[in-house]
Amino acid sequence: MSSRSEPFWLLLPGLLVLILAFFWPVGELLVTSFFTAPQAGAPPAGTRASAGLANYAKFFADSYYLGVAERTFRLSAITTFFTFLLGFPLAYIMARAGPRLRFWLIVLTVVPLMTSVVVRTFGWLVILGRGGLLSKVLEWTGLSASPIGLMHTETGIVVAMVQVLLPFMALTIMGVIAGIDPKVEEAARTMGAGFFGVMRTVIVPLSLPGIVAGSLLTFALSISSFITPTLVGGVRLPMMAGGIFSHITGSLDWNFAAAMSMLLLLATLAVIVPYAMLLKRRGA
Amino acid sequence: MVGGIPLVARFGGALLLVLVLVFMLVPLAVVVGSSVSASEFLVFPPRGVSLRWYEAVLSSDKYLSAGWTSIQLALVVTVASLAVGTPAAIALYRFRFPGSEALGSLFLSPLVLPTLIFGIGMLMLFSRYGSGPSFFALVLGHLVITLPYVVRTVGAVLHGADRHAEEAARTMGANLWQRYWFVVLPQCREGMAAGAFFAFNISFDDAVVALFLRAPGIDTLPLRIYSELEFSPDPSIAAASTVMIFITVAMIFVIERILGVRRLAGSGR
Amino acid sequence: MRTLLLCGMAAAVAFSTPTLAQQELVINSFGGSYEKLHRKLVITPFEKKYNVKVKVVTAYSSATLAQLRAQRTNPQYDVAHFSGGLEAVAAKEKLLGPIKPSELTNYKDMYPFAVAGIEQGRGPVYSVAVIGLLYNTKSVKKPPTSWQDLKRPDLRGRILITDAASNTYGMLGMLMMNRAAGGTMDNIGPGLAFVKGLLPHATLISKSPEIQQNFAQGNAWIAAYAQDYAFTLTKAGLPVKFIVPKEGAAFAPITINLVAGRKNRDLAVKFIDFSIRAEASRGWAIGLRYSPTNKAAKLPADVASQVVYGPAAVKKLVAFDALKIGKERPKWNEAWKRAIAK
Repeated sequence: MSSRSEPFWLLLPGLLVLILAFFWPVGELLVTSFFTAPQAGAPPAGTRASAGLANYAKFFADSYYLGVAERTFRLSAITTFFTFLLGFPLAYIMARAGPRLRFWLIVLTVVPLMTSVVVRTFGWLVILGRGGLLSKVLEWTGLSASPIGLMHTETGIVVAMVQVLLPFMALTIMGVIAGIDPKVEEAARTMGAGFFGVMRTVIVPLSLPGIVAGSLLTFALSISSFITPTLVGGVRLPMMAGGIFSHITGSLDWNFAAAMSMLLLLATLAVIVPYAMLLKRRGA
Repeated sequence: MVGGIPLVARFGGALLLVLVLVFMLVPLAVVVGSSVSASEFLVFPPRGVSLRWYEAVLSSDKYLSAGWTSIQLALVVTVASLAVGTPAAIALYRFRFPGSEALGSLFLSPLVLPTLIFGIGMLMLFSRYGSGPSFFALVLGHLVITLPYVVRTVGAVLHGADRHAEEAARTMGANLWQRYWFVVLPQCREGMAAGAFFAFNISFDDAVVALFLRAPGIDTLPLRIYSELEFSPDPSIAAASTVMIFITVAMIFVIERILGVRRLAGSGR
Repeated sequence: MRTLLLCGMAAAVAFSTPTLAQQELVINSFGGSYEKLHRKLVITPFEKKYNVKVKVVTAYSSATLAQLRAQRTNPQYDVAHFSGGLEAVAAKEKLLGPIKPSELTNYKDMYPFAVAGIEQGRGPVYSVAVIGLLYNTKSVKKPPTSWQDLKRPDLRGRILITDAASNTYGMLGMLMMNRAAGGTMDNIGPGLAFVKGLLPHATLISKSPEIQQNFAQGNAWIAAYAQDYAFTLTKAGLPVKFIVPKEGAAFAPITINLVAGRKNRDLAVKFIDFSIRAEASRGWAIGLRYSPTNKAAKLPADVASQVVYGPAAVKKLVAFDALKIGKERPKWNEAWKRAIAK
């Protein structure tokens, strides 16, 4: 019988990393969020001066911050919806395609995923800018009379975010559809169901756990997104992650930034825990 | 065949596929395209064709030092995550002990939690108890987000690998180190290669954790591109970004080659 | 296995890269055309002369101040450049260190106002920027004469407003609009109302390159920004002129400061001394139309007419109390964020 303590020693380095880089920092955030600084811009690393729920109260009592939260959740919901709309057909085709087509589709989906979000967002800046590629296309097709742009608009944020998150959604759903036996589809078809009928009565219901899981994941990634909404949205459309960043690096109110971070973490957990449970049920 | 896929669906599906693929890839195409622009401005389609921006990037200390920092960081993070993640995966997926499933979920959780949180939390922690952001802090920050990938890929191969080989080695008198070196680790090889690929890529591309944990003078390539984007946008950013895209694509094909060949070699076991 | 060993070797090499004996200096600069000229006039010649490496971090003043505050116990900069009076705040918080006049060989050549605070930590002023109105002479038929002209109907949709929270030039522009609208530093309500009224017809930007982009693309004809930037735009071929509105233009000193608590103080002081020399002062004026602060900088006539030359001219500009700015800024930023949010 192998030594009882063997797994412990194997896990020790990993546990140390988790403690130093995950639990302790989150604990630090939690504690810091309960204190307020005596004056704005004062000593760094958050003060431990006066304790209380002042930061949280400030957040919920202020229509500005509530607006920031509302925009974050609203745009993330819209993003998730469109990501599903585009991702589901892509996932179905990838799952049912022949091996060579599937290989290339997966590669084409993975390449943007493995590219830095800064590079992808930068591409969108060039496309969405006034006079950029989108503008040129719209002018050429006659849909617009003058150079326009989607930069610094909520639509622009959604468009860029959908592209960034599409691979996550598509790969999650593809995994689930690939697990559905094609014979079930064929059986439904021999019983007279048309293509769209099969889709409606067989594929969608059976892949629902994957669809929900993919949507939850997309939503969670979307609400905590920083680079894309900040670069595309600009200063007039603040979102949660950007707000946290500006309190850390601008006003130096680390206590308030910690409170906002905890709220964001809680919102993410509220979405991720059902996601994890769904995946477990699928036996992933 | 009874009621095959109707022509409408086939045609519509192909069209939709093309549109979705174009949508997914257009930012990358634009970045690559605008990098060969001869003009000073970031435009697509490019005005004129010239490689001057590549020349500018490859001879500029700003980009070269940032690129070197990113590569150094990614290498250190990759080695560290293999060193920490492989034993963790072995412990989680080879041994049955109470709580191993919960612990497994815990190790995988950074995959779905906002990387922002790790960056900020570590910034506050290291500022209070240490001297603030540093290369070490950055390595640690990247480590926590790459570890789940290694644990997952190594765990996946261990799951399918033969448990009894280890048992057999033990009965033949192999000690702890021999067991690991000659039996368990070779079984993990594919998982480690895939994990290393993901770890390198995640660290190389990361901008969010690096944004919070950077110290002046430690600029990673994504951060340098971000900063140039804000302060002096010109096609050299596109050139630097294209180099990053090229490295990613090259890595994807290399890893596919390695794992593909391994699979061929392994099947004749 | 082999991959693991290879990676391990690579990591070992990475860690053991021998550190050269070269000394290093960490400074900030403001990016874009400014940083390019900064390197040409000061950074590269300094590196060559003293055989050192200068690490440049691109960050505007507000961000640099925030970083220095966060790094209080372990500062990462040797020299900090500030605009908009932020050095007074930093010096008060003991983030900057004092310099003795005897330590600067160029001290005697500087205008008194430029070196007034060096012993309290407020570094020498090496350039002066002026915040007024830039406009496109071809598109704007009737030249503007007042800050209130931003409200003119013929300029609707062609106005650029700069973010006051992240950009000190934007802050000074807002303070001038506030002044023209009847407000004071204690009450920026009028200024915010003025900006809010402009927003539906304006584009909000936060970095200098965005001004050039918007003017070049023709969707901006007028902006509240710096005199030196007007020159950058004319160099790029745009018909832009800078005017001092009748309510006044803001005085924006650009200072170079010694960061307190760092080991290579001597090298940092040498860098500061090198930055204020006449040759550099002249170069800033000729290259980007910054107003010089070194008496010994002799400018050609056409350049002199495009800058604010001499202490008498500087006195005519509107100066805002730097310490008051430091005290009020956090409040202003919160109010500004709310005013501009959609």
